[in-house]
Amino acid sequence: MSRSRVVGLAALLLVVSLPLRAQEPEQQDRMAKLDIKTRGAVELLVDSAVAEGLPTQPLRSIALLGITRKADGRQIVAAVRRELILLRTARTALGRVDETELTAAAAVLEAGAKPTQLATFKNKQRGRSDLQAFTVWADLITRGVPGEDASSAITRLWDEGADDATFVSLWNNVQSDILRGLNPGTALQNRIREAPLRPPTTKGPQTPEGQENARSE
Amino acid sequence: MTDSDQHPYVEWIASEARRPVLMDPGARDRIMAAVRAEPVPTPVPAWRRLLQPRVFHMSPAGSALLAAGLVGIGVLTGVATSNRGGRAAEHPRDVAVLPSQPPVSSPDTMYKFVIVAPQAGKVSLVGDFNDWDVAKTPMTRAGQSGLWTVAVPLSAGRHLYAFVVDGTTWVQDPSAPIAPDDGFGHANSVKLVVGGSSL
Repeated sequence: MSRSRVVGLAALLLVVSLPLRAQEPEQQDRMAKLDIKTRGAVELLVDSAVAEGLPTQPLRSIALLGITRKADGRQIVAAVRRELILLRTARTALGRVDETELTAAAAVLEAGAKPTQLATFKNKQRGRSDLQAFTVWADLITRGVPGEDASSAITRLWDEGADDATFVSLWNNVQSDILRGLNPGTALQNRIREAPLRPPTTKGPQTPEGQENARSE
Repeated sequence: MTDSDQHPYVEWIASEARRPVLMDPGARDRIMAAVRAEPVPTPVPAWRRLLQPRVFHMSPAGSALLAAGLVGIGVLTGVATSNRGGRAAEHPRDVAVLPSQPPVSSPDTMYKFVIVAPQAGKVSLVGDFNDWDVAKTPMTRAGQSGLWTVAVPLSAGRHLYAFVVDGTTWVQDPSAPIAPDDGFGHANSVKLVVGGSSL
C-alpha cells in the first residue's frame, strides 16, 4: 500500500472517530484525567463487566470517585477491580438481579458478609425489595457490628418477612445507641431482641424532602 | 537478425503466416443468416437483475475503508441509543415514549440535602449522580445559620454521596446509612430512592 493511501486511510478513520468522541458523555471527559495506563486498565475491567453482563456504571463511578479523591492510578485500578469481583460474586450468589440490587449486595460483601449469607435473598417474593435490608446490613458491619451478628440479625428479620420500615427502625435504633457510646455489637443484640420490631410511626430520617437533621463538623 | 539467420522452423511458421487465406465467398452470408436465426433476447425484469449474482473487485485498502465505515456506523448507532454505562439514553421531555414496564420513580424527583457547617466557606454535594464532581453541585448557605442546602433530581436506585467542605474535607451525612470503604479510605453515605420516595 502506498504512503499516500495509508495517510488517506488514517485520515478517514480519524474523521469517522470524531463524531464518536463528540457524542461521548461528559463522564468521559473526566475519565480523560486518568493517565493512559490507568485508563486503559479501567476500560479493560469495564469491558470485562460488559462481557459478563455486569453493570458498568458502578465501575466508572468508582474511577471517577478516585479522580476526585486524587487517588493514584494503582489505587483506582485496584478499587475498580475489587468492585468488579464483588459484583461478580454477588451475581453468582443472587442470580440475575437488577443493577441496584447487585450493587447493594456487592456493598454487603465489601463490608465483610459471606456470599453464602446472601443466598437467603435469592428466591424472594415477587415485588419484595431487599435494598433496604442490604443497606442496613452493610451499614451495621461498617459501623463495627460483628459481621456474623449483623448477618444473622438481617437474615432472620428477612426470613420473618420484615418490611423496609422495620429495617429502617432497626438502623435508627442501633445507630442512636452507638452514638450514645454503646458497643455496636451490644447495640444490635439489644435491639434485635426487641420483638416484634415495630415499624416507626413517623418516617425515618431520610425523607423525600431531605435530611433535615443532618449535622456535621 | 536477418531471415537467413532464422531457424528453419521459424522460417516455416513465417511462410505459413504469409500464405494468403482463401475465404469461402458465401461464408459472410451464412454467418449473418445464423445470427438472424437466433431468438431475440427478452428484457430481464429489474427485480431479477437485482437477484442475479455479481462479482465485485475491491482492493485491500478499499475493503479496509468499507469495514471501518461499517464499524463506525455501528458504534455511532450504539452510542446514540445508550451511554457507556449501558443505561438507556434519556428521551427529551416532549417525546412520548411507551415504557416497557411501569416506572418506579420519576427521574425528575427532587431531593433536598442539608448539612450544618457554620465555619465552612463553601460546601459541595458529590455523588454517583454527578460523577463525583465537586464543581457540579455547590450547596447554598441559608442565611447566617450555617445550614447548607441543595436540591438535586435523583432517579430510582441506590446512590452514594458525600459532602465536601471547603473543597478538601469529605463529610458523611450523619442521618443516612453508610457504605463500606470506597477503596480510597473513606465511607460514603447511601440514599435509596424507591418508588418516588427515599428510604
